[in-house]
Amino acid sequence: MSFLRKLHLFLFPVCLLTWLGLLACTLLYAHPYLLPRSGQQPNWPILVLQALFTAAVFIHERNTPDRLRGLDFVGLLRRLVLGPGLLATVCAGLHLLQQLIATTLPETRSVLFSVVYTVNVGLFVVLLARTNYAWRSLVLFRSSATLRRQWVWFEVLLGLTLLVHLFAPTPTWGFNTAILGALAAFGAYISSHQKWVAYLNRRQKIEAVLLQLAIILAMGAFTAYFLQTQQDPQLIAPPTQHTFLILNAFFAGFYAIMGLLVTLFNLPTAGVFEQKREEILSLQRLTQLIQRGQTTDEVYRMFFDSAIQTVGADAAWLDVASPEEGQPLYQHIRPEQAQAVRNLLADYNLTHIEYINNDLYNSAGFRGLELPFGSLIVMPLHSSKNQYGSVYMLKEHPQGFDRENLSILQTFASQTVLSIENLQLVQASMHTQRVQDELKIASAVQDSLIPKNLPIDNWFEISSHALAATEVGGDFYDFLHLPGRRLAVLIGDVSGKGVTAAFHVAQMKGIFHALMQENPLARNEREKFPVPSKFMAQANNALARCLEKSAFITASLYIIDYEHGGFVFARAGHCHTLYYHSIKEEVSYFRTAGLGLGIIRNDTYEKHIKNQFYDYNPSDVMVIYTDGIVEARNGAQEEYGEERLQQMLERTYYLDAEQIKEQILADLMEFSKGQPMHDDQTLLVIKFKASQPEAGL
Amino acid sequence: MKITQHATESTLTLSLDGELDASSSVLLDTELSKPEILRNQKVLIDCRQLHYISSAGLGVFISHLQSFQDAGVKLVFFNMQEKVHNVFEILGLDSLMTIVPSEAEAEAI
Repeated sequence: MSFLRKLHLFLFPVCLLTWLGLLACTLLYAHPYLLPRSGQQPNWPILVLQALFTAAVFIHERNTPDRLRGLDFVGLLRRLVLGPGLLATVCAGLHLLQQLIATTLPETRSVLFSVVYTVNVGLFVVLLARTNYAWRSLVLFRSSATLRRQWVWFEVLLGLTLLVHLFAPTPTWGFNTAILGALAAFGAYISSHQKWVAYLNRRQKIEAVLLQLAIILAMGAFTAYFLQTQQDPQLIAPPTQHTFLILNAFFAGFYAIMGLLVTLFNLPTAGVFEQKREEILSLQRLTQLIQRGQTTDEVYRMFFDSAIQTVGADAAWLDVASPEEGQPLYQHIRPEQAQAVRNLLADYNLTHIEYINNDLYNSAGFRGLELPFGSLIVMPLHSSKNQYGSVYMLKEHPQGFDRENLSILQTFASQTVLSIENLQLVQASMHTQRVQDELKIASAVQDSLIPKNLPIDNWFEISSHALAATEVGGDFYDFLHLPGRRLAVLIGDVSGKGVTAAFHVAQMKGIFHALMQENPLARNEREKFPVPSKFMAQANNALARCLEKSAFITASLYIIDYEHGGFVFARAGHCHTLYYHSIKEEVSYFRTAGLGLGIIRNDTYEKHIKNQFYDYNPSDVMVIYTDGIVEARNGAQEEYGEERLQQMLERTYYLDAEQIKEQILADLMEFSKGQPMHDDQTLLVIKFKASQPEAGL
Repeated sequence: MKITQHATESTLTLSLDGELDASSSVLLDTELSKPEILRNQKVLIDCRQLHYISSAGLGVFISHLQSFQDAGVKLVFFNMQEKVHNVFEILGLDSLMTIVPSEAEAEAI
């Protein structure tokens, strides 16, 4: 590559030098007296210099970068005409100047003729080189590898003709004709590659025709000059490299003429090509625009505008199926006119289907509407599942639409539907994301409702566990210290799951804290705080108004008086309390009656709830839980069950509260291994202790 | 969950087969919400094939309890499995609803 680049740098000086040499040789040849010492010049220096000059110019041109930029064919032609093409005027000008000077200064005539002739040969070679390499750009435009190889062969064969005159200064007629004929045919074949013409629009085609005419004219000017000078008696020079030049001139001219004809014949169809191109471009534009559309409104608007522009409708409107997604759009038609057409189509049962009518004036129904339109096309916007609307396009003239319009509208419509569905998906996923984010917040809020600091005292140990099956759960528990060394413990479960249940959990906790306030009007110590049954009745009353009909809450409230070593509790439909009696050395459930909250929503509820008193002993253990524990299932769909829980406590009652809890949970985990968690699980273990001497003081 | 109906002149018997959970309770709710159900004197629920009842299933019975009482329609459960009966008992529903061992006793009520 670097060698070629270096060569390229030298080519221009070589061109110049060989041309100057050629000029000198020609002058000497024609006028040997200019240099008295030399005799008659031989032919070969001129021929060699001619061949070198021509080869240098062509190779120089061959190595310049492709002059075709993108699809700017007209630009390429224009630069060709305005650059080398103008050399023809130089040629003609020089010829006229020479004629003029020759008449005024006859003695310089012969010398001048030689100079002008050599200049013109040089200019012609430059023009041919530029033209043929411009044609190369056009021939090889998006060409196959085969054609590229053929072109190289064409170049090589043409280049070889430069040698013809060196080795056979006067080639035989037959030989010459054979070479000329064969290579001309090759050139003609190459000239058939005019793919570039298809990429021109109408205006460009006209321009291309004119530019090609100009090039043919320029070639003609040179040809005329050389034909004329060939007859001139003053031409005393060995014949030029005319096999090469004639072939190149023939190819340059032939390609230009072919191009001209192809372009000319393409002119009538340019409109159709342009329309197709325009359709593809507007589809591209639509696709890009629509993807930028943020709302369905925008997407409909873009579709509507593009569709009108592409089919060239005189009037149009767009119906959107659901009003919340967008308003109907009208263009050059009044809504009441559109409504009349809509009604008519509905009468014919033609809504939401593709419909094309190119002769509205002959349709009785449409004629009755007295609208100034002759053609109608209807394109529904629908996916396999949904109907999004329809677009109606009208033209004043009958036969205004064709199948092509219908198919392009179809493409537009499906693109639009795709975009709208995409947009809806994006919106839906954003909504889901928001809901999930809110659920996370709800989960965090609910988490903050769970007591983090368990009551600590020397009289008991408490250990707790809570695990929600979903982000927000329906289980709850809470503690409240009451005056007089008493502790209220609440546990419960709201029926159902999810956000609704979570709200009721928060509500229950609110009710708990509100009702467990000291009553200032109380006459004695016992009435200062509601007893559990009273609490349940009041809670039931509070919940009656806001709990939905099929929802209910189960709860147990324990008030432990550890000064007197006893507790009182009420069970509102909640799981039975499991208890280890240290004196009896026995584990059993407190099987008391009690109705869940929210099941009866009137004053009769109080009849269904009882208080249970019990005096505990040190080392007694109370296990409080929700149904998520006992209803946990194993692989065989068996429930963990009260019995198994009881057995666990029988095995672990002597441990610390924390250890008892851990053992039960470990057993539960083992039991339900591999099974999904269906319900929230809450477990509290309370172990009563003998007061320690120092704490008792 | 499968619900089969058997209607006589004044009694409608619904046989529940399977697990009454959040999704299947919708079916039961649809059945119990029909206005013509209140024209019966008795609605008997056969729980022989009812293996499990969730809080949502209980909620369905609870939500219709009041309207049945107001319309004077007796709601009677029979053939209830021990496990399911335990759930009713824990929640305290056994004191509100009539649960009898056999169909004969249910019809006698």
